[in-house]
Amino acid sequence: MLAASAEEEFSEELLLKPLPDRKILAHFHFRNEAPLAADSFARHHHLFPKSISQLVQKFHIKAMELSFTQGRWNYERWGGFDPISSHNAKPPGVELWAVFDVPQHQVDASWKNLTHSLSGLFCASINFLESSTSYSAPEWAFQSALGSLRYGTLPREAVCTENLTPWLKLLPCRDKAGLSSLMDRPSIYRSFYHSQRLHLIMPTAVSDGSKSGIILEQTLTVVLQPNNQKASMNHVGETKIQPSWSLSSIFGRKISGRCVLAKLSNIYLHFERGLVTQLDNLQKKSSKFAANDTGLTWKHPVVWSSSHAPLYASRFLMGSGNERGAIAISLKSTEMTKGLVSANNVEERCKLQVNVLQIVPWYVKVYYHTLQLLVDERPQVLADFVERMRVSPSEDKVSPGVMELVLQFPCEMKSAVLSIEFDKGFLHIDEYPPDANQGFDIPSAIISFPDFHAGLQFCEKSQSKSPLLSKLQERSPVLSYTEVLLVPLTTPDFSMPYNVITITCTVFALYFGSLLNVLRRRVGEEERLLKNKDAKKAVFLRRMLNKLSAKLRGRPSESTPSPPSSSSSPFVSPKLILRVLMVAGIAVAWQYYSQ
Amino acid sequence: MGLSVSMLPMKVVLLMLLIFLCYSVAYSSSSSETTMHTNNWAVLVCTSRFWFNYRHMANTLSLYRTVKRLGIPDERIILMLADDMACNARNKYPAQVFNNENHRLNLYGDNVEVDYRGYEVTVENFLRVLTGRHETAVPRSKRLLSDEGSHILLYMTGHGGDEFLKFQDSEELQSHDLADAVKQMKEKCRFKELLIMVDTCQASTLFSQFHSPGVLAIGSSMKGENSYSHHLDSDVGVSVVDRFTFYTLAFFERLNMYDNASLSSLFNSYNPNLLMSTAYYRMDLYQRHLEEVPVTNFFGSVMKTIYTDSAYRSWSNKKIRAAKSKMPLDQSIFDSDGRVLRKSDEEDQFNNLTAEDYIRDSVGQIWSAILSNVNTFESTDTFVCYGLVLMLPLLIFSTWLSSK
Repeated sequence: MLAASAEEEFSEELLLKPLPDRKILAHFHFRNEAPLAADSFARHHHLFPKSISQLVQKFHIKAMELSFTQGRWNYERWGGFDPISSHNAKPPGVELWAVFDVPQHQVDASWKNLTHSLSGLFCASINFLESSTSYSAPEWAFQSALGSLRYGTLPREAVCTENLTPWLKLLPCRDKAGLSSLMDRPSIYRSFYHSQRLHLIMPTAVSDGSKSGIILEQTLTVVLQPNNQKASMNHVGETKIQPSWSLSSIFGRKISGRCVLAKLSNIYLHFERGLVTQLDNLQKKSSKFAANDTGLTWKHPVVWSSSHAPLYASRFLMGSGNERGAIAISLKSTEMTKGLVSANNVEERCKLQVNVLQIVPWYVKVYYHTLQLLVDERPQVLADFVERMRVSPSEDKVSPGVMELVLQFPCEMKSAVLSIEFDKGFLHIDEYPPDANQGFDIPSAIISFPDFHAGLQFCEKSQSKSPLLSKLQERSPVLSYTEVLLVPLTTPDFSMPYNVITITCTVFALYFGSLLNVLRRRVGEEERLLKNKDAKKAVFLRRMLNKLSAKLRGRPSESTPSPPSSSSSPFVSPKLILRVLMVAGIAVAWQYYSQ
Repeated sequence: MGLSVSMLPMKVVLLMLLIFLCYSVAYSSSSSETTMHTNNWAVLVCTSRFWFNYRHMANTLSLYRTVKRLGIPDERIILMLADDMACNARNKYPAQVFNNENHRLNLYGDNVEVDYRGYEVTVENFLRVLTGRHETAVPRSKRLLSDEGSHILLYMTGHGGDEFLKFQDSEELQSHDLADAVKQMKEKCRFKELLIMVDTCQASTLFSQFHSPGVLAIGSSMKGENSYSHHLDSDVGVSVVDRFTFYTLAFFERLNMYDNASLSSLFNSYNPNLLMSTAYYRMDLYQRHLEEVPVTNFFGSVMKTIYTDSAYRSWSNKKIRAAKSKMPLDQSIFDSDGRVLRKSDEEDQFNNLTAEDYIRDSVGQIWSAILSNVNTFESTDTFVCYGLVLMLPLLIFSTWLSSK
């Protein structure tokens, strides 16, 4: 249980660790602490960033972690058992989990508002996590014991300078002084793996359990390759001298001075246990450490390997086609498990507990009854190995599918594969992203080993004041993240709406056009028109005569057709002339008689 | 009796004058010319996705850099980038974006804040930013919080055509939608003046439907013309900048924050032969003359400060000093959003003021107040209004004299 002190404190530390495959791990650790007096609601902060304290107060956050990562942590080469890989090896993209201190029915609203605020604060599209299809509430993972936890990831989010800029502005010295002035952007973004993380904790006071402060931890983990060996990628087996490096050679910058606001500003160089034993074996001076511009020069080739997690976890897709497929999680034993077996007592059965959390979006419709387990390539009954299982099936366009498993494996197992089948769903045409042909992502699964605790042990206890070292000594379960899977879904032809409209309009035009033609046009009309033109001269009088004779005779008039009114009559028709003459005559008569 | 008869038309005239004055004062207070220019905003939008549209990102980032260099802070810039080029896996120079083959300038720099990224750059979000109609949860940094005194620069680049602009290869923004959004903005008093700059093919068709006052627009090409990229960078592998933006930048790189270059010099600097298209601008909705508008009214945020060591003196003394030394109280002081602090070495002469000086000072104070009011006029009818106010006492005096 961490306790906050009575005033604000800031400390900055950098840990450098050579990795077996000729790379260097640089881990920046900034810790900012602010006390929260119970009787004051408002507070002036002079080291702690105001935006974070406002966020905590507004959304009643108990704990939160936000990470921006690019690259994949190579568990085989860089280790899986040490605290840095357990805490700082994160899935690519954005990962956010938060525990809230509000009643159950308000947690989703708080989560939604939190994602929007974070997206404005860190220049990322974290607001996409607001929709219920992208977040979930796992119960047995993370720190769900604290309360209502919500978890979401965006695997495809890009991470670049615009995410680092506001993150650095939360530090008291920004990127102007101290260790953060080392962060040369091109060097960081050229690295094999970089992850910036923000972790907020509200520790409770030991005495009464009330909140005693806020602790903000910001870490940046970068795996770099020194410049002089950029081109070659060597196997670990080849005995070549490790590249020599210094801070200015890997970052291109020098530290100008410490941050004066920091209580503690240290640089540590971490040699792993495997490396130390190798160095001892050589019994020669195989490396030289420079203090001013911190660096390391290797004189003799050394080969070592990092400590691994109990099982390698990896995940892949099976099947082909756009209709269905299967997801498989494979767990392989490492040297560590072999060590477990050999160290074990013969009478007791050595058991290895593995927790699996997998969240799958709704359009990958998983069939949970098809969950199969193969141990050492032989199919097994699931109930023999699964201790507990919690499944929250997905709902179309509402929530993703969550599966949490607690498995118990025998330590002598060589490999295990968990596979589950799925059908690919259909999305509405508006729901496709602009680059739909790339495919859709299934976020990383989380494999944890609760029996083991990743924590370093130091011989001397005097370093306990350093926050980084105390963090490294903390006992926390070993975590591994699997790969993100890319699922190609069927994409529609996005030009189809245009095609449909065009063809429908054409069909309508043809249909109604021909219908109108059929109804309106008469057969033989043109011949009749021609005939009428000849008979036009005495047409009016003839018609009158016909009508008169018909009336006298009491018979219907003959079939002499009257000229249709729509025929092209001349501008001045005879009828009109007669009428005009009649009116003129009446007018003359009137004039004559009125005078 | 003769007096009363002659007084009658005078009284009528006075009454009419008073009514006219009240009306004109009321009218002038509601006209927009009297709102002061308070701040500058910039909305920079890149609408293209995918690596081969690198140049559109470089265009937008070049404008971003210019606008930041000339003074607009990140809080007043809304930057919308539809894809990530700097940290793209295809970028040989991570975290670096160049707009020139010589790679002299890294546009991405160390302090970049992108407000709308990736899939968030949609027509809906763009129109929400312009009209200010967001959901309640949207944070302040993603909102255009301009007021009635703001000058807004809106720059859009990407692929476009006749009366539309393509967003991310999946939707379009039409010219009448944009005109409607700008009309909404004007109704809600969200800007005083708006400059729209568009760098796409057939760009000038995008603002053909505007009818709101206070809008100035320039496009890189006319209807039927394409806008071309400037050059290809064989190292990065794609074209890195468009011609229109390249020449715009060439104009701005010569400027610093205090230069007085006018908009007309910017608009006249475009050579159709070099651009391979005609840069067409539309000023029929804009009242001011382009020669009098400095480019920093839109592209920068100018605050002139003069450093002074000693304590700040009261404002009235400063005005007297101004009136005495005949310093020009012209628009370089009053039109920019600046406050001017006078030099401190002129203050030593204030200490020896006598009684006559005080009377002269008060007259000078009134005179300088009048002068300052005169110089903030931006239209003639307010001038006429004030002239009439001045004439009124003269009229009363003359009637009194004539009645004697």
